[in-house]
Amino acid sequence: MSTLQYRRRSPLAVLKGPFLLLIAMLASVLCGSVASAAPRQQQASSAFNANAQLLKQMVQHGQLAPSVKIVNTLAPTTIVQFPLFPSGIKQAFPDATALVTIVRGDRDDSTSDTVTVDVQKMPPNITFTIFFIELANKPFGNVQYVADLTTRGDGSGESIFHVITLVAFAMDARNPGTSQDQEGTTSGINLEHMGMWFSSLIDAQEVLNDTTLTGTIFDGGSPPLHAGPQAMTDGQDAPVF
Amino acid sequence: MTHHHTLARLMRWGWLPLLACIAVAFYVYPAAAQLHVDAQQSRMQAFQPQTLLQRMQNHELASTVQVLNSQAPSVIVQFPLFPSGVKNVFPKATGVVTIVQGNPEVSLFETVTVDVENMPPDTTFTIFFIEAANKPFGHVQYVADLHTRGDGTGDVTFQTITLVAFATNSDAPEVSKDQSGEASGIQLEHLGMWFSSLQDAQKLLNDPTLKGTPFDGGSPPLHAGPQAMTDGQTDPVF
Repeated sequence: MSTLQYRRRSPLAVLKGPFLLLIAMLASVLCGSVASAAPRQQQASSAFNANAQLLKQMVQHGQLAPSVKIVNTLAPTTIVQFPLFPSGIKQAFPDATALVTIVRGDRDDSTSDTVTVDVQKMPPNITFTIFFIELANKPFGNVQYVADLTTRGDGSGESIFHVITLVAFAMDARNPGTSQDQEGTTSGINLEHMGMWFSSLIDAQEVLNDTTLTGTIFDGGSPPLHAGPQAMTDGQDAPVF
Repeated sequence: MTHHHTLARLMRWGWLPLLACIAVAFYVYPAAAQLHVDAQQSRMQAFQPQTLLQRMQNHELASTVQVLNSQAPSVIVQFPLFPSGVKNVFPKATGVVTIVQGNPEVSLFETVTVDVENMPPDTTFTIFFIEAANKPFGHVQYVADLHTRGDGTGDVTFQTITLVAFATNSDAPEVSKDQSGEASGIQLEHLGMWFSSLQDAQKLLNDPTLKGTPFDGGSPPLHAGPQAMTDGQTDPVF
């Protein structure tokens, strides 16, 4: 029965099946390529982050320090990262490391930047103060006290704070002056470096085994000069943010 | 004879290093340790609610400051902001600043919330910690922005060192008084809000004669407008 039916089919009818299959395959390939092209176009447009590109160029041109990494973020966010290096603790804690991550949502809308400071192999159970500073190394110039970080028992620690960072500046409004930042000339003295200090001179003397260390101004509250020496710095001449 | 002589000398002078050790143990170390304890304790005590209330009574804190009846060990301070530059056009503008410190002994920073109402709508304001509430303002620190909604309300929350904020040039650091006593740098114990854009201010306040101020970051200089809100106090508000 089936053999008879087979024999009755014309040669064109025999070709009909593979032809339809071929059409279906072509259609699926075409549809697939159109569908995948759309997100690719979207990706290409959102992957271009003008602000990040600008900052990358600034690193290339030396306007930002070579230690600064501009993360490939989606527009309009900007993420800047840079390391801190041991300064005052270099002899006693040469392996101490720190990473600073600054996140800004949108250049025009964000109300402050989010700063995360992560440290490792630091003196354990010690409180450090964190300052935005005019210069990475002595004499440091104008400074702004922004946060504290207390290390855990294993010498690691983290502090997250929200404050104006990428356009931080110090100023006496009676005589504001101007200075250069990445955008050009701005009001006040730009604070484009970061450092960490021992909040307690005694802690520093004990941890660093050096009783000759003298007090510094790098902590708030009374009495004056109760803070210790700088522990970590970005160590760069060019700005890090 | 020589050995005997040496032994006698040792006995005669050997007590000197011992005495030095005792002196260090009894005087020098405790004195140094006291500095450490003093710094921590004075900072901790200065920001306890009871101490803050006493300081208000002594006019070391402004009378507008409210020290809330918060659960120990948290400290919550509130104070109002009053219209300054927006007074004529937005006389009903109000602001409340809330500063929360979890535990004065271990807090890494304070959380500050600024709430405003009846302000110019859809406008960005910069927020500064300032040395003096009114002109010439003195040393300042740029801490946050606040963008108002269409109905003139707005709020922003930021986290930074606040209760012991100070400004200084470490080349020639000054000493000034804060609630805990003498402290390094110039204390920043007031808060003000500025128009981040001079053009916004000129338009909203209908005054094209207004001049640019340095109260915003970024380029160009003097692109900010006048002060909009201030705590308006002579005594510190934090």
